[in-house]
Amino acid sequence: MSDNRLTQTEPSLNPATADMINIKINGLDVQVPKNENLIESAKRVGVDVPYFCYHPRLSKGDAANCRMCLVEVGMPGPDGTIRMMPKPQAACTMPAAEGMVVQTDTPKIVKDRKGVLEFLLINHPLDCPICDRGGECPLQNNTLFYGPPTSRYIEEKRHYPKAYPISEHVVFDRERCIHCARCTRFTEDISGDAQLGFLKRGADMEVNTFADTEYRSKFSGNVIELCPVGALLSKSYRFKARPWDLHSQKSVCSKCSNGCNIKIDYRQDKIQRINARINEDVNEEWTCDRGKFGHDYVSSDNRLKTPMLKQNGEWMPISWTQAYALLAEKLKAAGSNSAGIGGAHLTNEDNFQFQKLFRKTLGSSNLDSRTDRVHGSETTLLSDRFGYHGMGNSIAQLQSFKSYLIVGSALADELPIIFLRVRKAYRFHGASVVSAISKKDSSSPNVGDFATVEMIYRPGTEIALLNGILNILFNENLLPSNPGVDLKGLQQSVSDWTPAKVEQETGVPAAHISEAAHILAAGTMALIAGKEIREHPHYETVVAALGNLMLATGNPENLNIPERVVNAQGAKDMGILPDLEPGYAPVAQLGKNAHEILESAAKGELQALWIAGEQILNTYHDKSLVRQALDQCPFVIVSELTMTETALLADLVLPAASFAEKDGTFTSCERRIQKIEKVFEISRDIKADWLIFSELAAMIDGSPIPFSAADIFTEIAAAITEYAGISYKSLGDGGVRWRSESSSTNTKIFTAIYTPPAKN
Amino acid sequence: MSSSEISGVREPQPDPLKEYRFSEDAIAEMEEIATHYPERKAACLPTLWIAQREYGGYLTPPAIQEVADRLGLSFSEVEGVATFYTMYNLRKRGRHHLEVCTCLTCAVLGAYDIVHKLEHELGIHLGGTTSDGEFTLSEAECLDFCGAATVMQVGDKYFTQLTENNVMELIDQLRGSPDYTPAKLADAIVKIHVPLSSQTGGGSSKPEDLLLPAGPML
Repeated sequence: MSDNRLTQTEPSLNPATADMINIKINGLDVQVPKNENLIESAKRVGVDVPYFCYHPRLSKGDAANCRMCLVEVGMPGPDGTIRMMPKPQAACTMPAAEGMVVQTDTPKIVKDRKGVLEFLLINHPLDCPICDRGGECPLQNNTLFYGPPTSRYIEEKRHYPKAYPISEHVVFDRERCIHCARCTRFTEDISGDAQLGFLKRGADMEVNTFADTEYRSKFSGNVIELCPVGALLSKSYRFKARPWDLHSQKSVCSKCSNGCNIKIDYRQDKIQRINARINEDVNEEWTCDRGKFGHDYVSSDNRLKTPMLKQNGEWMPISWTQAYALLAEKLKAAGSNSAGIGGAHLTNEDNFQFQKLFRKTLGSSNLDSRTDRVHGSETTLLSDRFGYHGMGNSIAQLQSFKSYLIVGSALADELPIIFLRVRKAYRFHGASVVSAISKKDSSSPNVGDFATVEMIYRPGTEIALLNGILNILFNENLLPSNPGVDLKGLQQSVSDWTPAKVEQETGVPAAHISEAAHILAAGTMALIAGKEIREHPHYETVVAALGNLMLATGNPENLNIPERVVNAQGAKDMGILPDLEPGYAPVAQLGKNAHEILESAAKGELQALWIAGEQILNTYHDKSLVRQALDQCPFVIVSELTMTETALLADLVLPAASFAEKDGTFTSCERRIQKIEKVFEISRDIKADWLIFSELAAMIDGSPIPFSAADIFTEIAAAITEYAGISYKSLGDGGVRWRSESSSTNTKIFTAIYTPPAKN
Repeated sequence: MSSSEISGVREPQPDPLKEYRFSEDAIAEMEEIATHYPERKAACLPTLWIAQREYGGYLTPPAIQEVADRLGLSFSEVEGVATFYTMYNLRKRGRHHLEVCTCLTCAVLGAYDIVHKLEHELGIHLGGTTSDGEFTLSEAECLDFCGAATVMQVGDKYFTQLTENNVMELIDQLRGSPDYTPAKLADAIVKIHVPLSSQTGGGSSKPEDLLLPAGPML
């Protein structure tokens, strides 16, 4: 794709820096930012201007096509008298100007709106009784308040196939479409796959994908929410409920670490659909398809409803009393020779009780929540050097840099909301993106769609590539003149990484590396590293090399290595680590990390292993080691939602509550602590993980059982300095971001020694 | 942001795996046309004409994809343009596309008699194509040649002062003729966009002749 960024002004929600001007709306004086569109201005004084196509987050390229927001506008002439414009104006594209007079409810406008709606309804099938949108439909609502009571149209309406599937998740009812262009603008402006477009013209005009191909996008679900009529519908929610029958609960998505704010709409103890909840700091109002459609497991028939014990290869249900007695006996016997893996999918409260059970009650520090990689104490790698954990920037900040380096990440898959922020920076703020990845991501959309330079390197050669970029930066004097760091040693260490040598080593053309270096040096730069970096065999060295680049270019606060799993950050905060207690305090006696736990279990040295909400067979890279470990360990406990492959290898499986059945908090990759709330209860025998850990600890050593997740959170806030001063209540709807207290940057340059990958 | 800055316009990259059909001359024409506009997107319409010529007179989905790839646009955007304008053919036409003007002047002078005659003689209805793939018949809105009504456009030429009686004579002459095809029309329109000095070929049309009545035929 070439440069298809917008040259027009960005759609901005908060034009904070704009000049304020005075206008008059329906006789009310109001101060608004200059050039604000009149719909937003009218909202300031509580005047409702109806619209369909306008959306504050979408570009106005094709807007003003529904004609619903017509208002009368007048401007003061040279003599000060107001002269009304002869024709009504579309409020969504009319910029406010000094002295402007706006009338939204004159008889002329009332009549115009009636006319517009009568036209829109000519081809609309009015099958509201069987339409999913019925009851929450802007077209219904606007017709009720502004429309004509009757229609004069007696001819036949357009007919198209009903509920035509255009993607895996979305069905399209073309008859209902009013051509507002919200969905087409979404695919172009926000998700960037530009798959939906208008075809044909006049009465034949229709939204469609290219040549009737499948609408392939990772963000297709958003168009369902954007559609102001029932034209784009969710395949899974279709005919499931009427909107007024649904109950809604605020929650946070559990599918990745971005922490999208969502609303769970449920009925009869079943999740019917998931819609986005607005949080300007996180997901704005978007969701990804994984989050929007991926929660059917909660109400799945396969959910475990009672503890299951394996005896002689047969699974038999047992009661919680029996399960606890068995657990207490076995774990007491195992004592410090026990280990726990998992926690990245659990809440902070679960994790806090998890580590308390192991550290306090059993005296074991063999705990690790990081199962997708092998490494040492990487948690402190960033915080020691730069003073922050995981991400230097917040998600919201990631839309405002001049250039981006995305390393080793299929960003749209791994962290969809961060992807949308980067895409927004490109589309609306003129940023340039450099993507470096070992395997080209061909799914849609992806960073490569709009990256200025895409470097496909040989796996394992990241450091060579980074050294090559640094070499060019030094040789061509592209670095800031006063970096505040002594870079001589670094310059020395990369001096022999000439573009030609790097090209030979990494397979990236030297011209691309040079172009990338120029882009990255052009202004403030943010770096986002992904899966390939986190799973790198020389993880620590690569992070050191990334850090060197950021220090050299003067962006030490913009290095981001976000966690990927929902509460992986929180699990680390809660001390599900072999070497660090809650709040990153060093432990007295070092425990085993995930790899060591599995190895010692495989050797038969561990007596008990608890796998908490982690499908380790899928997440850990060495499957045979996992199988061996679960096989050799005499007592394996798995707390899970369903009988997963991992659970089948256990001795005791405990039915745990999903994120929709418990209270608690998740800490997202940007360290934002957000509340999830209990939506419903599927079975009384399904327990929240924190309750399982607490009740068991109480049985073993009589520790008190907390009453609620809020209680545990209070305890956490008291125990961990990072969470100090935050109360469960103060988290509110949008969550609170904890900041690393150290602001001093250790400007040490580490030498990144390059180890060539094994040749095969 | 201007495209010359380092922030970088990535050049549109044709996918090497796809089978493209633009000839080198056609690519040169496209690049020449693209220089006339501030952004490549604006060259969409003329490039679609090039595609219509290169793909034999009509736009297939691969043709639209090729245009999109070469201009760096999305497929659906180009398809939207191609389906909006009626002069882009989305289906294969006959070798000669007979477009009879049925607007006022021509209608008064018997355009529909000609249409009916053609329908009867060729055995097709309006919009249809003869089974030998020779002729497609359609109605056209005013062709702006009322002074010499009744007018029929065939490919890149007008045929004027037609009557029910002389039209079959024309059809006989057209049958099997390599001229007056939709691709010729596309070529002539492309040539309008390319200055004479940089015309590299790709077709033999001269733009100044476009749509002038073909003299010697009748």
